Amino acid sequence: MTNHWVDLRNSDCILVMGSNAAANHPISMKWVQKAKDNGGKLISVDPRFTQTSAKADFYAPLRSGTDIAFLGGMIKYIADNNKFFKEYVVDYTNASFVVDEKFDFSDGLFSGYDKEKRAYDKATWAFKKDDKGMIERDETLQNPKCVFQLMKKHYSRYTPEKVSEITGTPVPDLLKVYEMYSETGTKDKAGTIMYAMGWTQHTVGVQNIRTMSMIQLLLGNIGIAGGGVNALRGESNVQGSTDQAILFHLLPGYLRAPMAAQQTLKDYHAPVPKTSDPRSVNWWSNYPKYSVSLLKAFWGDAGTPENEFGFGWLPKLDAGQNCSWLNLFDEMYNGKIKGFFAWGQNPACSGANSNKVRQGLAKLDWLVNVNIFDNETGSFWKAPGVDPKKIKTEVFMLPCASSVEKEGSITNSGRLAQWRYKASDPPGQAKPDGDIAVELMNKLRELYKKGGKFPDPILKLKWDYTDEKGHFDPHRVAKQINGYFLKDMEVGGKQFKKGDLVPAFPMLQADGSTSCGNWVYCASYTNEGNMMARRDKDDPTGLGLYSKWAWCWPVNRLILYNRASVDRNGQPWNPKRALIQWKDGKWVGDIPDGPAPPLSDEKAGKYPFIMTAEGFGRLYGPGLADGPFPEHYEPLECPIPNNLMSSQYNNPTIKIFKGEMDKHLTCDPRFPFVGTTYRVTEHWQTGCMTRWQPRLVEAEPQMFVEMSEELAELRGIKNGDKVKVSSPRGEVGCVAMVTTRFRPFQVGGVTVHQVGMPWCFGWVAPKDGGDSANLLTPTVGDPNTMIPESKAFMVNVTKA
Amino acid sequence: MSVTRREFLAISGALGAGLAMSSLGLNMGPAKAYAAELKIDKMKTAKQSTTICSYCAVGCGLICSTDTKAKKIINIEGDPDHPTNEGALCAKGASLFQTTDNNANRLKKVLYRAPGSDKWQEKSWDWAINEIAKKVKAVRDASFIEKNAKGETVNRLEAIAHIGSAALDNEELWPLQAMMRSLGLVYIEHQARI
Amino acid sequence: MADGYSIIMDTSKCTACRGCQIACKQWNQLPGTETKNTGTHENPPDLSFSTYKVVRFSEGKNGDGKPFWYFFSEQCRHCMSPGCMAAVEKEEIVQDDNTGAVLFTPKTKTLDFKATLEGCPYNVPRQDPKTKELAKCTMCFDRITNEKVPACVKSCPTGALVFGDRDKMLEATKKRVDELKKSYPKAAAINPDDVRVIYIVTDDPKKYFKYAEGK
Repeated sequence: MTNHWVDLRNSDCILVMGSNAAANHPISMKWVQKAKDNGGKLISVDPRFTQTSAKADFYAPLRSGTDIAFLGGMIKYIADNNKFFKEYVVDYTNASFVVDEKFDFSDGLFSGYDKEKRAYDKATWAFKKDDKGMIERDETLQNPKCVFQLMKKHYSRYTPEKVSEITGTPVPDLLKVYEMYSETGTKDKAGTIMYAMGWTQHTVGVQNIRTMSMIQLLLGNIGIAGGGVNALRGESNVQGSTDQAILFHLLPGYLRAPMAAQQTLKDYHAPVPKTSDPRSVNWWSNYPKYSVSLLKAFWGDAGTPENEFGFGWLPKLDAGQNCSWLNLFDEMYNGKIKGFFAWGQNPACSGANSNKVRQGLAKLDWLVNVNIFDNETGSFWKAPGVDPKKIKTEVFMLPCASSVEKEGSITNSGRLAQWRYKASDPPGQAKPDGDIAVELMNKLRELYKKGGKFPDPILKLKWDYTDEKGHFDPHRVAKQINGYFLKDMEVGGKQFKKGDLVPAFPMLQADGSTSCGNWVYCASYTNEGNMMARRDKDDPTGLGLYSKWAWCWPVNRLILYNRASVDRNGQPWNPKRALIQWKDGKWVGDIPDGPAPPLSDEKAGKYPFIMTAEGFGRLYGPGLADGPFPEHYEPLECPIPNNLMSSQYNNPTIKIFKGEMDKHLTCDPRFPFVGTTYRVTEHWQTGCMTRWQPRLVEAEPQMFVEMSEELAELRGIKNGDKVKVSSPRGEVGCVAMVTTRFRPFQVGGVTVHQVGMPWCFGWVAPKDGGDSANLLTPTVGDPNTMIPESKAFMVNVTKA
Repeated sequence: MSVTRREFLAISGALGAGLAMSSLGLNMGPAKAYAAELKIDKMKTAKQSTTICSYCAVGCGLICSTDTKAKKIINIEGDPDHPTNEGALCAKGASLFQTTDNNANRLKKVLYRAPGSDKWQEKSWDWAINEIAKKVKAVRDASFIEKNAKGETVNRLEAIAHIGSAALDNEELWPLQAMMRSLGLVYIEHQARI
Repeated sequence: MADGYSIIMDTSKCTACRGCQIACKQWNQLPGTETKNTGTHENPPDLSFSTYKVVRFSEGKNGDGKPFWYFFSEQCRHCMSPGCMAAVEKEEIVQDDNTGAVLFTPKTKTLDFKATLEGCPYNVPRQDPKTKELAKCTMCFDRITNEKVPACVKSCPTGALVFGDRDKMLEATKKRVDELKKSYPKAAAINPDDVRVIYIVTDDPKKYFKYAEGK
């Protein structure tokens, strides 16, 4: 989230699309209701009429996988009807940037496409620059090659009629949503978006979100209270685990995983973004300070300038090597992976194409499964239909502590890191995950002291995260994450002693004199104490920021890009919701995005979007795999034979898996219905925790499929019947829930039915609970993120 | 940490604190009611500690009440001071109590399943950690990739993969990723990718 | 406090998160029973000796063809003149003077269950098949007499459930209904003068739940 949960109350119009907040983030509705109480409007756009829709001022249906068409139509509406916030768009977005003459878009493809590689050469997508490297701009927005005009042209094809034909949303419903939402394109109005996996789990996932980000930029809704682009993250610490880089392509703090071509630290630092514009902060130019401080946190004293702070001990990826989830399980299925840690996760139910995942587990030599309850991953060898005798995989099931049986921090969707305490010991032999990791590493170090392949990184790793009794000590790690001064030194006129905690990341150094496990968390645990444990409810702005409650990254800034909430003179667009303000030569209010004066200061003023090299919000995004403007493509499996927008059927840059377990069928009469997946309030993710709780199971006991009355009639299915839902990859038994909340879509003159299933069930528990909807979902991902397309695929439904 | 109790009703008049069911002449005899009465009384002497919900990323605050003698959690409910949820909880959050050792379904023992076996065997931590470490080392030493096809030094290990977890604390995740990366793992993934 | 307490259940704010249903069980230490999905999210299927509160789900199509989905967090209404007490002789059921809570005591096992149930306009009392005792919502009597709001009310995120002095709750009910009437002409409070648990609806009560306004 660019903003945070309480801030939803400051919104005049809340669009919930790609999420069902009322069911999956129920407490968010507290603040949505507050916004409504203040006169704000709630819009729900969803293939199914959900609990969120039931509370909405307006509901519009759309077919799964057509969000770009829906939102592209809104961009056209905003541009055609001059609903955009002109001053914001000109001053703070790249609308005025002039793009290279060679940039082109034709019939669904951008310039530079290589059919063989299924990838773009992005050279022609660049901005036009002068001799000094400055980007050419046209602040009148009239230049036909400027971003604004290119954008208008691109979305001119997204007429309400065309959009309706694709999405199945009636034209009046589309127009109503466009009208309601675009009313927030004024100084005194804020509009926000609440999205979740309904947008990410598509082969156009990133571009779904980009389309909405463009709308937010056009309406001046980014950086302001009640605005922003808000991803509702689904796990208590998925923000933190992303921050700490439990992902192949990152290092902690969104630093890049090193590549093989980067043999030296200098090579590694070479791609750091650069700008010639003195008014752009280009925050990532600080990259070496964060990366070197991270290396010092990794290797401690063993990392020296001579050995490039231990850079060589980090693993390097080959060019184009993608080790993300779908590829991981593809490799596992292909027998390439021998040992596997499933730590607090249940891929046998959560992984797309779960049959492939489950068969992959059987090809391992060993599996370590760490959890608080038994799950389908740890017990895969005794699943129904599996003969344990034929499974060679050794399995270690390690019992760990629950959230109230240990101490530490988790980071919520609003980037708020909150400390929690231990209320009791874990039961039996169960232990905190931290202790399990420490003990395993201690043992490995012991073994490697006696020799082994490339022992250096294992033996040199700084590994002193235990207390006097040898137990894992979260405070020691929290301080390491925050960072230390490693010698007595002066920074910014202040004296620090060796061993002092670094007060904030601007003080980190690139010469090895500071350590920091994660620069975005620098300031979370300082000499003044554990900021994440604070419980002060001061709210001086009255906007619900609560800046002294726990601690928010970065540097306790509650709303990102807040420099865009003010005009060129640093005065709030909306004085009633003043987030920051330039007053008497300084900023007051929330922590500003950098201390520089506002833009009207010709010399020292800086652009507000400090994380982009140019300093501007990106209506045009030349860095993504699939194009600088979002374009509608059909899901890999879809119900219609043509993309009604172009002759490019699917996203041209997705990886197509072609193994025996990866069958994909479109417009196949055997699988005529669109399928989608979702969750229920009572179960969490795969249900691996909640399915063991009788009170929750009582409320949602069994796997179901929701379908329209029309589809039920077509298939002779009655409410409550047992049915079978199948896809080219598997089948799952369900109870039919025949409902008025799903309705057939009219798509390109054809009636398209859609059904939906939860993925929170599994065969281990409860009895007769059923199994996961992921048995049906395909192995295919977004080309940028490789997040699977679990929200739109093709199925059949028959009476069991 | 200080926990205030804003949720408590501002009570005036005769109905004050301490007026228990018994003083109304009621014998709330069923086992359940009796237990509940004990619960409210026990809560007055229990140790209170705050926590954050383990489910979605709204990050709601809760208060655990732990019996100081039995060292058992006797109640968990919303933290009325928490600015995000102000004491409210959804179905899952309201059921957090059922994730504690009050739930008989919790895993309490280290379990091992041998190749081809159809059952779990109970094992000690020492045994399990030792075995896992030996297996990690064996795979790593056999499959470690020092150089790629181009001859570039890559020092990576592709034969072991790790996933998880968004359910762990930040302070657990950081050392976990450091450990996995020090072993050379590149297949390091978790829930954020799905 | 002559008037005791009341609870408002404002269905227009309910999102069916079922925090109340679970919080009730968790506080009162009531077990989860075995259920099946019968084609609805509504579960357990009914109030029982181990379920004092059930969120009712009701759906259909409006005149414009668009769906509606109503949620109704069902529980004992704690009537001002409780019909369930008609057959009471020896304090099997008591109405607490201070709070207004209607409480079933263990002596209810001697009551004629059928008569008690028939006496209740809202079909609330349930019997333990083993002990024959009757049970229902206690208004979290142990909590409200110990300075805590009822568990269900505390768990409610959106303010669909509110607890407080009856006079204030009646006032808040009137205000909310007036407000809702602007957008929903059928908005109303259900029998506010007769019950302590006052339901606010925006449509015909029967569309929410069979016994929403009584049998």
